[in-house]
Amino acid sequence: MTVDEQQMIEHIQQLIRKPGLVLDENTALVSSGLVDSMALVDLLLKLEDVTHMRIPPGKVQPKDMNTVALMLATAQRVGKVRK
Amino acid sequence: MTVEVSQFRNLIEALDAAPAELPFLTVWVDEDEQKTVTFGEFRRQARVQAMALRNEGMRVGDRVVILMPQTLSAMTMFVATMMLGALPAFLAYPNFKIEPSKYRSGLEGVTANLKAKVVVIDAEFPDELLGHVSIGGETRLFRVSQDSGSASVPAIPEADILADSTAFIQHSAGTTGLQKGVALTHAAVLRQLGHLAAALGIDAAKRGPADCIYSWLPLYHDMGLIACFMLPMVCHLHVVMQSPLDWVMHPETMLQIITEHKCTLAWMPNFAFQFVPRRTSLSRGAKYHRAKYDLSSLRALINCSEPVRSQSMEEFQEAFSTIGLKDGVLHSSYAMAENVFAVTQSDCRRGRGPNRVWLDGKMLRNAHQIVPVAAGDEGAISFTSSGRLLPNNEVRILSEMGGILGSGQVGEILIRSDSLFTGYYNRPELTAEVIVDGWYHSGDLGFCLEDELYVVGRKKDLLIIGGENLYPHDIEEIVCSHPAIHDGRAVALGVYNADVGTEEIVVVAEVDHEELLANRDAIEREVRNLVVGGIGVAVKKILLKPPQWLVKSTAGKASRSGTHEKLARENPELRIEAVESERA
Repeated sequence: MTVDEQQMIEHIQQLIRKPGLVLDENTALVSSGLVDSMALVDLLLKLEDVTHMRIPPGKVQPKDMNTVALMLATAQRVGKVRK
Repeated sequence: MTVEVSQFRNLIEALDAAPAELPFLTVWVDEDEQKTVTFGEFRRQARVQAMALRNEGMRVGDRVVILMPQTLSAMTMFVATMMLGALPAFLAYPNFKIEPSKYRSGLEGVTANLKAKVVVIDAEFPDELLGHVSIGGETRLFRVSQDSGSASVPAIPEADILADSTAFIQHSAGTTGLQKGVALTHAAVLRQLGHLAAALGIDAAKRGPADCIYSWLPLYHDMGLIACFMLPMVCHLHVVMQSPLDWVMHPETMLQIITEHKCTLAWMPNFAFQFVPRRTSLSRGAKYHRAKYDLSSLRALINCSEPVRSQSMEEFQEAFSTIGLKDGVLHSSYAMAENVFAVTQSDCRRGRGPNRVWLDGKMLRNAHQIVPVAAGDEGAISFTSSGRLLPNNEVRILSEMGGILGSGQVGEILIRSDSLFTGYYNRPELTAEVIVDGWYHSGDLGFCLEDELYVVGRKKDLLIIGGENLYPHDIEEIVCSHPAIHDGRAVALGVYNADVGTEEIVVVAEVDHEELLANRDAIEREVRNLVVGGIGVAVKKILLKPPQWLVKSTAGKASRSGTHEKLARENPELRIEAVESERA
């Protein structure tokens, strides 16, 4: 697991507050209902912080945010390096 | 330059009259990416699209659903459709924060009702959602590329667009559920824009620099479509637009765009007047803001589409007066898709904001009576005016029993005007319910005082507790004044108790930090006391929830109906019935 993935997972664990729940980079978050759609704004902002990129939200769909691995792949695909 | 809106027979004629070299639309993506097109280039691109639509067999009166991100291409497609005498309708484009199941059912319902000839999507429209676009035997899917090339203006056979023909269909507020398609004629839209331009002093501004509009508003909403697209198109103004998603992610960009483009006019719903100050980098200090941003160009920032809350306006004013926001720039309006847009507008030329009154809370609740009192009086509650009626707009205030009320009494707001819609598209029964003898029954509660309209809230949200009329916003404001409750994150609901034959108040509120739930009993007691002290009624149940529990709308504000449904699901012991829909 990369450092970026680890940071995202720690943030998600704080967000969903389910003690004992083990998450990894491939855990389904949106389709499983663990993360609701409004929390995705918060997650996208965190993803920008972790990757130091600006991610155009119009280019992101719910399926792109379903796992931490997909989130980071999405950042690589559509993100722009932040000034 | 002065534009006399009444000279045009239709919206396309108004667009055609704009000087080709004048800037029309700037699409702002970020500081490195923004694109401006002139009126001439916009017309050229729209004609290219019109030709493509015509080749698809588009004819006068056909419906076109536009399911595209908020781009230049979506806007030229909208105009292209009108150029052919066909009827465009914007629907919300799917995005990462929508609830997929709700979006799918909304899409199915709306597209089926419109029986569109063509559904226009962009190249990136998610394939998994295509199955939920209702495409009957006659409907074709049209994928459009963002680039319309540099082809010269094609000669499209001109449609004879009559003033009284339908120009487009705009959907009533909300992004999901059974939205109602409001069919509007060219003449009605032009009349509304003429009144609005006059009320905003757009003609009068001709001595100074021309107005420039800033918008983050979605084009499927009347504020975005009418105030920030049709108004600049017809009055030949420059509009700078960013996508609602970019705004919600980075609200500070709003300050940046207004500064960069010296924007003079903008519209926002009430919640945004709190959202923007709270989400910008105030923590970095006023000096940072002063160096970077300047809002002194703004001459009217209009609070619209939700009941206007004085507190929200004050919060915005206080946060941004350090970066040039002048006194008297924040204004208000009462608007709805059914009237094309505005019914009222506060006076932008008098150098101060809308009027504010303080009323005897008890008289308001017990008798729906307006009794002005002094600001500091016990139990006084304040309301901010939505301004005066636009020309040729009339309102009536109707009592519960159907009688017409005079000034100083609260009742349902009825509207009659020369820009009123003629009906919901393909829904005659629904139309007959809301338009009676030429008056539109808005479902909003309000009152008139000294020729100004004050909007109190939605009629269906009114809580009637033991014969007393309670407005949920008032209860929610008191609940949120408790330091443990997250501001703006409380919902008051009425739950019918068959044993006592009346509704009882249930409040759901998020605490600021989860740890606060350890003091649940004490906080509940204090909140209960605050409500009793503030408005003299008892809350049956207070449910404290952790942060992010409340259901929020796509814009991030607490959703009354969504929270109601979640509560019905998760707290069955309360015996709450699920509700059907909500007007955003």
